[in-house]
Amino acid sequence: MTAKTMQTQATGIPPEAERVLKQIETKQAMYRRKMTIAFAFLIVFMITALIVLGLDFKFMLKWLPFVLAGSGYTFLVAFLAISLACILAVVGALGRLSKNPVFNSIATSYVSLIRGTPLLVQVYMWYLALPQIGKALEGYGIPGIQRILTLPAVPAGILALGVCYGAYMTETVRAGIQSIKIGQTEAAKALGMNATQTMKRVIFPQALRVIIPPVSNEFIAMIKDSSLVSLMGVWELSYRAIKVGRRHFQSLEMLIMVAFIYWIMCIVLQFCQEKIEKRMARGDRRIS
Amino acid sequence: MMENERPMVKITNVHKVFNGKLHVLCGINLEVNKGETVVILGASGSGKSTLLRCINFLEEPTAGTIEVDGIVINAGEDDRTRHNHILDIRKKTGMCFQSFNLFPHMTVLENIIEGPTTVLGQKKKQAVVYAEELLDWVGLTDKRDEHPSRLSGGQQQRVAIARSLAMKPKVMLFDEPTSALDPELVGEVVDVMERLAKEGMTIIAVTHEMHFARDVADRVLIMDGGVWIEEGTPEKIFNNPDHERTRQFLAHIL
Repeated sequence: MTAKTMQTQATGIPPEAERVLKQIETKQAMYRRKMTIAFAFLIVFMITALIVLGLDFKFMLKWLPFVLAGSGYTFLVAFLAISLACILAVVGALGRLSKNPVFNSIATSYVSLIRGTPLLVQVYMWYLALPQIGKALEGYGIPGIQRILTLPAVPAGILALGVCYGAYMTETVRAGIQSIKIGQTEAAKALGMNATQTMKRVIFPQALRVIIPPVSNEFIAMIKDSSLVSLMGVWELSYRAIKVGRRHFQSLEMLIMVAFIYWIMCIVLQFCQEKIEKRMARGDRRIS
Repeated sequence: MMENERPMVKITNVHKVFNGKLHVLCGINLEVNKGETVVILGASGSGKSTLLRCINFLEEPTAGTIEVDGIVINAGEDDRTRHNHILDIRKKTGMCFQSFNLFPHMTVLENIIEGPTTVLGQKKKQAVVYAEELLDWVGLTDKRDEHPSRLSGGQQQRVAIARSLAMKPKVMLFDEPTSALDPELVGEVVDVMERLAKEGMTIIAVTHEMHFARDVADRVLIMDGGVWIEEGTPEKIFNNPDHERTRQFLAHIL
């Protein structure tokens, strides 16, 4: 695109300047070619490495469908958890920015507590410790609460991941909202908008653009952290791969396979992220 | 008419203290009649922008009373209707900022219909018809679907004026609308402001644009240290000021 605009401007430009423009253009073309070659080398290297290692590709192919069958859980957990996390993040960010002491203190403690404890502990907390809380509550005369709080593995995993990532994303969303200049709020107020309208129509749409890259980061991390639900005996991707690998003493094959599956999923997500970012960039001079 | 007897804007004994110690406005009084154009001059830091921002409560006055088109709000009074009264005053006043503050994620047209549709609950179709009239009036019909980042500063400020006018305000507040502009772009914005004044809009402007103050304003006020030091017609202020500070200030900017 840059080359084209240069050419249109080049009409009527002195020949020596044209030569400079040509040079710049060839330099860019060279750079692109070198990049392609470098990537090609890396891919070839990777494939050679896999062959040299003497991987049993037949074995991998045989178990691929079985492992892939676990990707449904991975997607289900990751998708529902990220949805929960997004909702918590927006509510949490509004709380962190709120002047209401109750709302603000709850949001601040939520972020502090969840960010300050390991995800692993939280997962077990939802799965193993919550029923005990239910039992205690039942002792105080709330009938049936223990059964409600005894969660199956998948919902417990979704809650654990969603609540945990919600805390991290709260800070992302808060930073995004605060990155919008005060003039935008003032312009909205001057038009007579109330706080909700200002947030919904003016601040949040602009903040969204800022927070898409870090939120995609979280989403990609979440896809991989979803393997933590295997701790509770859910037969998702990595659990299946590790199980099969151990039983047949071919862990290398299975681990490489499952790693590739995760990688491909994340590449797809990254692609989606780029698409969304391009869409959101409308009206931004740096890109359009 | 009865309406004409009551001032459009009435500011009574307004004080503004920042952080408990910085006394920026010290008992300001101002009455602006319907259709009048008032220019406020003063050195930077004299409190003129703060006063303007107190009128639509972007700043809370610390003491005093603000009245716009019959809506009266006393500083420090905190009842249930206060919040709505502030919103009502903001609907009746348009404000243009030094830094334009257009919404960058919306097109020019979307910027202009945002107020009418979101705040006044107008139908989009109806808002678009009026927005197009306004765009024509500020001479930017061809920029209708551009994003603000594609416009020059002067064009952005004209869109910002159109955005304010879309709310059909009773008063327009201009807070140094030309200070961030390249010199050759000042004219197009001042031209729009001048036409607005001629069409009978009530205008309170903080500006260093001397042509506007001299030729368009009905009245010029000079602020220094949070009080008025002089007030009068442009002829008097520019040709024969009473106050030594006024003379010094004008010598600086002319």
